[in-house]
Amino acid sequence: MRKSKKWYGKAAALCLAAMAVLVLVSCKDEKENGSNLLDIEEKDGRYVNLFSPMEKIDPSAENIARTASDLTMAMAEEKLGVRVAYRTYTAENYQDKTYDDVTLDRVRNNMDDLYLLNPDTIQILGAEGRLVDLSVLASAENLREVVKTANTVNGKLVAIPQEVVAHGLFVNKDMFDQYDLELPETPEDLLECCRVFQENGIETPIGANRWWLENFVFAQAYADLYNGGNTEAEIEALNSGESKYSDYMRPGFEFLQELIDKGYIDAEKAYVSEAIEGEGPDFLAQKTPIVMAYWGAANAETSYGKPDFNLQVIGFPSSRGQMPVVSMTGFAVGAGAEHEEDAIRTIDVMLSDEALQLYSETNKVISPSKNVEVDCIPALKPLNDKIQENVYVLGSNAGMKVEQWGNTCIIVRKLLGGASVDECMAEFDRLQEESLEQQR
Amino acid sequence: MNKERKKSRKDRRFPLLLLIILVFAVLGTIVFSVVRRVSAEMSASAIQNLSESLNLIKCTIEAMLNNEAEFQKMMSREAARWENPEEYIRSFEKNQTIVKISLIRSGEKEGISSTGEIFTGDELDFSLGRTVNGLEISQSYINYMGTWAYSMKCPVIKEDREIGTLYAEYVYDSFDRTLPEGFYNDKAMLYIMDARTERFVLKPKGMGQRNAGHVNLMDFYRANDITEEALQEEVTECVQAGGNMLFYHDVQGKESLNYVWAANDGSIFLIGYVPIEAIQQEGRTVNQNIFLVVAVTLIAFFLCCVLYYFNHRRENRIRKERETEREIHNKQLAEALQAAQLASNSKTMFLSNMSHDIRTPMNAVLGFTTLLAKDAENPEKVREYTKKIMASGQHLLSLINDILDVSKIESGKVVLNIEEFTLSDLVSSVDAIIRPMANAKKQSLHVEVTGIRHEYLMGDETRINQILINLLSNAVKYTQEGGSIWFRIIGLKQRSGQYEHVRIEVEDNGYGMTQEYLKTIFDAFTRAENSTTNKVQGTGLGMAITKNIVELMGGTIDVSSQVDRGSLFRVELEFHIPEGHADKKFWEEHGISCILAVDSDEETCADIRTLMQDMGVVVDTVSDPQEALEMIRSSRQGEEYDLLLLEWSPSEGKDAQAAEQIREAVSDQVPLLFMTAVDVEEKEDIPRMENTGVLHKPFFVSALKDKIMEMRAESGEKEEQEETINLEGLRFLAAEDNEINAEILAEILDMEGAGCEIVENGRLAVERFERAEEGEFDAILMDVQMPVMNGYDAARAIRALKRSDAGRIPIIAMTANAFAEDEKEALDAGMDVHVAKPINVELLKRVIRECIRRQK
Repeated sequence: MRKSKKWYGKAAALCLAAMAVLVLVSCKDEKENGSNLLDIEEKDGRYVNLFSPMEKIDPSAENIARTASDLTMAMAEEKLGVRVAYRTYTAENYQDKTYDDVTLDRVRNNMDDLYLLNPDTIQILGAEGRLVDLSVLASAENLREVVKTANTVNGKLVAIPQEVVAHGLFVNKDMFDQYDLELPETPEDLLECCRVFQENGIETPIGANRWWLENFVFAQAYADLYNGGNTEAEIEALNSGESKYSDYMRPGFEFLQELIDKGYIDAEKAYVSEAIEGEGPDFLAQKTPIVMAYWGAANAETSYGKPDFNLQVIGFPSSRGQMPVVSMTGFAVGAGAEHEEDAIRTIDVMLSDEALQLYSETNKVISPSKNVEVDCIPALKPLNDKIQENVYVLGSNAGMKVEQWGNTCIIVRKLLGGASVDECMAEFDRLQEESLEQQR
Repeated sequence: MNKERKKSRKDRRFPLLLLIILVFAVLGTIVFSVVRRVSAEMSASAIQNLSESLNLIKCTIEAMLNNEAEFQKMMSREAARWENPEEYIRSFEKNQTIVKISLIRSGEKEGISSTGEIFTGDELDFSLGRTVNGLEISQSYINYMGTWAYSMKCPVIKEDREIGTLYAEYVYDSFDRTLPEGFYNDKAMLYIMDARTERFVLKPKGMGQRNAGHVNLMDFYRANDITEEALQEEVTECVQAGGNMLFYHDVQGKESLNYVWAANDGSIFLIGYVPIEAIQQEGRTVNQNIFLVVAVTLIAFFLCCVLYYFNHRRENRIRKERETEREIHNKQLAEALQAAQLASNSKTMFLSNMSHDIRTPMNAVLGFTTLLAKDAENPEKVREYTKKIMASGQHLLSLINDILDVSKIESGKVVLNIEEFTLSDLVSSVDAIIRPMANAKKQSLHVEVTGIRHEYLMGDETRINQILINLLSNAVKYTQEGGSIWFRIIGLKQRSGQYEHVRIEVEDNGYGMTQEYLKTIFDAFTRAENSTTNKVQGTGLGMAITKNIVELMGGTIDVSSQVDRGSLFRVELEFHIPEGHADKKFWEEHGISCILAVDSDEETCADIRTLMQDMGVVVDTVSDPQEALEMIRSSRQGEEYDLLLLEWSPSEGKDAQAAEQIREAVSDQVPLLFMTAVDVEEKEDIPRMENTGVLHKPFFVSALKDKIMEMRAESGEKEEQEETINLEGLRFLAAEDNEINAEILAEILDMEGAGCEIVENGRLAVERFERAEEGEFDAILMDVQMPVMNGYDAARAIRALKRSDAGRIPIIAMTANAFAEDEKEALDAGMDVHVAKPINVELLKRVIRECIRRQK
């Protein structure tokens, strides 16, 4: 008995000693002389440079729109083993070059590989042949027809969006209810609403910036063209010079002029205001009941995502009622880009159904893919209902020989700067003439 | 005491708690100081580390700028060598660093660019006054490529004469190719800022968050929540002075080290931040490990405390449980002691009572014996005294029997002697004993038997008798003169077909008992004490014996009573039903197939039907004699009934008349039995008619059968007169070791004219019998407890003798071992009969005579 006890004691002591030795040994740093201490796995150096605009972010806030896009890029990075590097530019003030100006220069000088382009630059650069034809991509097959139409220049699909951007009027429904006002359907309704607001001490009922007032013009100009059942013929007439753009545009410009004249829009402020930065704070502070913005702004925390009031997004007033204006900022690959092949592969992944599903679910937007459906937030329901009914106008259409989105924006800016409606219409005539001249 | 203990425990706990807190405080202080020192060292190290990294980047940028300046000077010299420098400009092809060169000749306002445009230089701002390697550097601007650029101007000197100025445009993107791809594991943010405009002109690849892009310094402040004006002013001063600055500020909720780092003498700045966790990755790991060790130590300590606490609590609980247990034990012991004391008191009381109860008859015996000696000549007085001595002796005997019975039962030595018995015999024997007692006190005794299905049962008849006699004699004792006593035997619903479930009720309207006494009525050595019952003699053991016997039989007994209202005892017992008692043959043999019973009591009628149901006899019952008469007449002149049972109640004369009518209506051959519950004296009123008899209620089949046999056997013949028993001429061999008893026995036998030879033990008895001639002795009277050889062994030895009369000579056990098991043992030893001492002469005579008659 005593013997076995001694045996156990010795075994336990031996085990403890062994454990102590092991612990001491494991604590010792292993420094081998003469071996390469660098991580053997080197970074792949394949970069794809993406040039895109950057919303200003608030402290401690995630940019959801950017996060959504970033997720798709991460997906591409993982699948392809490349790294996507962001490059961006934001104008400091209205005197600075605009993003579009800089984009044009950068594409023309092959500064980057991938670009996120506005509709007007897509059309310009597509026409110049500086963008790669993306119709060969597998992801292009899933696109809705309207998306393909809006981004096809000279038979080439030069850009593909990750979301269909629908612009609408963002209204503070609580303020409308306060003054017993119905949400406006027609331009006349909107004027009446503005009158009531103004009479009740809201001096400038519509908050505006230098970019998005053109939506009022598009809604009134093309409500019939896109919803009248004779779209192709009317566009053809415009392209051939049989119809004049100025005839379409005039009611919208005159309406804008009236809004400006009656003080419903502060033209001077709008002329120098960047999107959302200028009018956003007053809208969120419920000093302004109406602003205009794109679909994603209702989702993004940095824009109008979390208002303290009942936000509703409706279409712009037109003779056919509320009219969403649809435009598409698209991803494009520069022809002759330094990393063209990687860029094309990257964009293919980013625009695949899987990526677009992820994007749409994160960002709650309308997907360009016909295979992706996502529920929208309640505030966007009025706008979404219209789009689901196929009631909308296109803010950009590469099928029109005169570029719409950029030119109209510039001409509206001239109106803000004091030009008359006739002068603005003359500008459209000039552009149409130039276009016809080029065709000839 | 408890309070003091608790207080002292508390007093001990306080310093312990203080000590623990002290240990924690010391440990905490040490850990805090270590962590703080480590943090400070790490912070200093981080600042140094970041400074070195930034200096490295700065030097890289400055080296690039210097190289660019050198190269531009070289180009300037090259242009000067060309005859037409403009041609040189036009021949330039842009590269990744220099994207455009331009030349303005001295004295002119316009020149040309390598891109073919007219160049004026107006768009370039050199007002900052900074130079690179002697060349002026412009403010940053967005160039024709849509990217941030800067220009440097260099004079073109030909033959020591400045012929123009060469402008070269550089893009910041070229830095991106030279700078490291991220630092601090891609967690550091880095921008290159133009000093004049405070615009961010480049974010090198991999430097910071991909989804963050800032326009200028103000935007950087806004996005990173750097709102402190003093800090912003300090940064501005630093930028203006071309100095460096590092400061801590949280960015996106993370503590970060922000930096503003001048390059190229402050023409451009490196600006950004590094999260502390990125710089102090190792330090953080060290800190985490320290915290982990501390946490583990604390958890271990805490666990130890918890374990100690639980252990302590468990011990406390066990201690409390033990204390409780001890208290319970003490209580139980106290209770046991109290019970023992009570028992002792009871026994003392009992002994005292017994002493009194024994002394009283003993006093009578001795007193009368004295008187007997004195008045020996007066036969009348002698007879009177001996009668009283006899009564006292009988009382003493009953006392002793009870005491012995109790001790026997309590020691568990009682064995039930299960045999077949009939309820009829049981009831009649009990009735025979109790009724005279009741009559003596002018009490009315009512015997009722209802619902019994089987009257032949298995049980210890003697013990059942004992129960009933105890209960009934008590009822008689404790009921005033003229009271009533009810003795009921009720058949209850059978729980099993093999057992008769019987309830025995003994009720009286006597003195009753108090509720307190009822609680102890079944305890031994207790007796109801009051002025009335003190007059009653008793051992106080009767109820204890009764209860013990009932329980021994697997039954129950309970009692309810009210003072001056009477008592009711209920005994419930189950008796096994013996097989083979549906004695149909008897009835067939006696030609009885149909009986008419007339009784006004429905229950009695039902009992008769029930008891007779298995006998193969048709039993008609009616309640009215007239009805019976009609039934007899309607059944072919009464030939149908073989037996008539007629209720007889002497108080009503109409029964006699009806009996006569019935007797006339049936044949004289048909027996007519009067069922009566009254005493023998009253039976005399029963009409004397042909072939009639009396059957005692309650009705029992066995009694009926006996009666029929009696009437049929000797029709009209009188019962044989009981033989006069005497022992004259008989000779006995008696084994008795006690001289007095031997003398008494010899005297008694002598008085009866019998001879007796007495031996002192069993051995002598065996030897004497062995020597005796055949027929010398008529019987052997054998004591049991004797020296040398006891009675049982002697009986066995005698029976084993090889004599022709050894097996048949009657051996009568005469012993003070008076219990049933003693009797059984005697019979087992080969004795013929057992007679308990003290000797009842009449009983002894009857037993001897019976044995001798049987032998003959």
